[in-house]
Amino acid sequence: MLLLVCVVVGLFTASLCVAEGTRTHSEDFVYTWHYLIPYFFWLISTFLIQRNIERKLPNRDPWIFPFTAALTGIGMLMIWRLSPDLGLRQSFWYLLGSLLFIALLSVPDLIKILKNYKYVWLFIGLILIALTFVVGVNPTGSGQRLWLQVFDFYIQPSEPLKLLLIIYLAAFFAEQVRPNISWISSIFPTLVVVGFAGLLLIAQRDLGTASIFVSIYILMLVVTTQRRRLLWVIPALAIVAGTIGYFAFDVVQTRVDIWLNPWLDPSGSAWQIAQAQIAIATGGITGTGPGLGSPQFVPVAVSDFIFTAIGEELGLLGTGAVLLSLLFIILRGINIALSSKTTFGRYLAFGISAYLALQTVMIVSGNLGLFPLTGITLPFLSYGGSSLVTNLVAIMLLLKMSTQTSAQEVPETVRSPYKWVAGITSAIFVLIIGWNGYLAFPNQQELIAKAENPRWAVYDRYSPRGDILALAGEKLAENVGESGSYQRRVTAPELSNTIGYAHAGFGQSGIESSQYQILRGYVGVPWQDGWLHDMLYNQPPPGLHIKTNLNLALQQQVDELLGDHAGAVVIMNARTGEIYTMASHPSFDANRLSETWESLLSRSDAPLLNRATQGSYPLGTLATTLVLESAWESNSVMQQPLDSDLIRLDPYCRQAMQIEAEGQNGLRYGCESSSEELLNSVDPTLLLDNLIEFGIFSSPDLAIQTSQPENPPSVEELDHDPLQVMNFKVSPLQMAIAAATITNDGLRPAPRLVNSYQTQDGNWQAIGEERAETVVMAASTARRLREELASSTQSLWYQTGHAFINDDQPLTWYIGGTMPGWTGTPLAIAIAIEANAPELVQTIGGMLLSFSSTN
Amino acid sequence: MNAIVGLALRILMFVCLYAFLGMAVWLLWKSISGSMLRRGIIAIPTLTLATTIDDEQVIRTFTSSEVTIGRNLDSDLILKDETVSGRHGRMTYRLNQWWYEDLKSTNGSWLDDLKIEEPIVIKDNDTIYCGDAFFKIYIKPID
Repeated sequence: MLLLVCVVVGLFTASLCVAEGTRTHSEDFVYTWHYLIPYFFWLISTFLIQRNIERKLPNRDPWIFPFTAALTGIGMLMIWRLSPDLGLRQSFWYLLGSLLFIALLSVPDLIKILKNYKYVWLFIGLILIALTFVVGVNPTGSGQRLWLQVFDFYIQPSEPLKLLLIIYLAAFFAEQVRPNISWISSIFPTLVVVGFAGLLLIAQRDLGTASIFVSIYILMLVVTTQRRRLLWVIPALAIVAGTIGYFAFDVVQTRVDIWLNPWLDPSGSAWQIAQAQIAIATGGITGTGPGLGSPQFVPVAVSDFIFTAIGEELGLLGTGAVLLSLLFIILRGINIALSSKTTFGRYLAFGISAYLALQTVMIVSGNLGLFPLTGITLPFLSYGGSSLVTNLVAIMLLLKMSTQTSAQEVPETVRSPYKWVAGITSAIFVLIIGWNGYLAFPNQQELIAKAENPRWAVYDRYSPRGDILALAGEKLAENVGESGSYQRRVTAPELSNTIGYAHAGFGQSGIESSQYQILRGYVGVPWQDGWLHDMLYNQPPPGLHIKTNLNLALQQQVDELLGDHAGAVVIMNARTGEIYTMASHPSFDANRLSETWESLLSRSDAPLLNRATQGSYPLGTLATTLVLESAWESNSVMQQPLDSDLIRLDPYCRQAMQIEAEGQNGLRYGCESSSEELLNSVDPTLLLDNLIEFGIFSSPDLAIQTSQPENPPSVEELDHDPLQVMNFKVSPLQMAIAAATITNDGLRPAPRLVNSYQTQDGNWQAIGEERAETVVMAASTARRLREELASSTQSLWYQTGHAFINDDQPLTWYIGGTMPGWTGTPLAIAIAIEANAPELVQTIGGMLLSFSSTN
Repeated sequence: MNAIVGLALRILMFVCLYAFLGMAVWLLWKSISGSMLRRGIIAIPTLTLATTIDDEQVIRTFTSSEVTIGRNLDSDLILKDETVSGRHGRMTYRLNQWWYEDLKSTNGSWLDDLKIEEPIVIKDNDTIYCGDAFFKIYIKPID
């Protein structure tokens, strides 16, 4: 039996040894030998104990120790896998614990000594606790000072105190003569002792241990007084104490809040619980495999959260086995209690079983979010020397008592409370396994998809993410390094706003985020490939490359012209909606996020914002173009030419006119007076319809995030104040689409930033479905608009405009497009520059034709 | 290659782990059902043993799950014959059947002319020979 356990733990060790080679897809056999160290430690200690109990306790319960050894072995290796440093300490603790086990085993009449000197043991325990008030330390350097330091080892006295308290209670209750149990003489002294110990722990803020104490006490009262009804006291007390604690201690309050709703603040106070649930879901049924998961994302995975580490790497099969093993030990313990020869032995065995059951139930249900979290250890598995040694001594006592049995039948009245406790414990364990299964399977996908799941960054390091390419095939973002150290490099840093970043610390944005499923190999890869990679490596397969519609040459030209000006430029194919250029300045360098993140966040010019899609600029005098159509339909006639005095008073408009002397077209150059006159003259119903059709109030469906559109006003509101149109906020992208609509004979194209992805056989597969164009206006109206705004020197139509951001900061607008006579690709452009720059916008606008002719 | 080895090790580990758990549960179940039998929770077909001692017909009926046969006075069925060993044989009820098992007696136990080396299943009207003595078995099925 124990041999089988050795094989299981050995196989676990071996799986850990090959894990690193598996993760990095190494061609050669790669072993991580250091996992053998804890295994040998475990083998030696286990063998020491086994040899001694075989000799000294030949009639012992044959099951308890193999289960104990299995749990300890899995725990030790898991701790080593998470932190070899702590793993080594745990190995020493197990060795130390097994030596203490053997030493105490050879003490003759140990049970009798324990019973007779019960107050001595209790006193020692309380003294140790009291000492922590004076010379207590915390190994991490801060937090509750619950530990005593002995050379380089830390002892947590509350752990042995639990066992000492059980010994005291068992001895005390065993002395009471059954028929004469009176509340005053038989219960009161224990109430004082438990109350005192509890108060000491509450004073130390060790609330988890305090509640364990009280629960053990009540369970022992249940079996000694044979009053089953007392079982209700535990949930009742938990509710009362929880309510009081909720208002008295901040810790209790946050813990309860987190328990009630872990997804309210998953990146803040509930981080640990949220991560724990995600880890369990990642493990699923079979687990990621030892050494292949990322259980370290759960804070303090080695001690309080070792259960979730097992859940992630061994899955429901692993946690189920762990819980069943613990339940097995507990039920065997209760069985030993029932067949015990002495009353003391019966109470002691029961107390130990209750202690193991309570610890397990409280921490595991805390880990899984079934119960508010209390920081206690999972018996045999958690990191913690005092806990492991105490548990081993407890097992030694159980084994010793399993040899002192009597064949005499225990009367049913005595049996009954034991059976109830055993039954309730089993039911709770089944409930926990069931909930664990729910998190691991039906709820799995939802939990894994949570934004707080950071595992994608690990996958990116081991399995290459797809590249992002420009339309002509130039790389915009690629991977450098090799499996285990892949890094993302953006080769066109000025495009960082659009491409986005995939950074382990700061998350994902832009195309990296929106096309994650394809880039990461979840979409477009045959399912069996995905399944195989998940099974073998716990990684998604290599991701697929994505091609965008961006034209790198044009993009670089625009970027150069835009230079240090804050603003955005969008150039698109007016017919297909393919976006050729998307510039947003200031930008950032996605390769230098780690060094620049803080300043990027704090800069007032918001470099992380993609102004082309997320910028909201007031429409200003650019509104004219959108209004002209309704003006014609309303039959309002514009005064032409404009009063030159008004133009002279509008400096921005005048400046724009002077660049190209194309006549005093007040509409073309966005003069405020003509815009206002126009707006005042149109029918508000027609105007509103027109604006809606142009897409001013809807956000374009694009592969990256776009700004929230403005809410459309009612016709009455518009009638009352038609000039508010000039304050409507739009993004340059929206205006580029409007320009494309005019260029494309009144048909509004759907914008397309990403083009296609490359399947494994090398073919390019289009991303997204063909979307129908929306009819905004008649082709004749579009033609009339273009002619109204046509340039006399180039095959272009365009309009400039201006607005004010925050009342005083000028903004220059430009939209335009090619004329039908143009033989190249029909193009549309929108420019917004956060300055008064009429010359610059016209220069950039004029570039359209140079692109069209070279392309 | 590493991955395949790792996967194989993992599968093997789970198989062994659950084999261990399964073994524990099975043995525990056996011991529980054993104790339930002892405490009379599971009904046992009544066993009646008839023998002749000193030319006198002796008939004994048992409701327990274990019956010992031998010359010792603490045996459930005492066979006063020199060829019978002190602890000669034992009958046990398990897996819904009555079994007879020879306890390494000097002269052996026989079912008709078959020597009983291993525990065997006994049915109604069988006769077991212990040395020169013998007894006849009647099993009354549960209603």
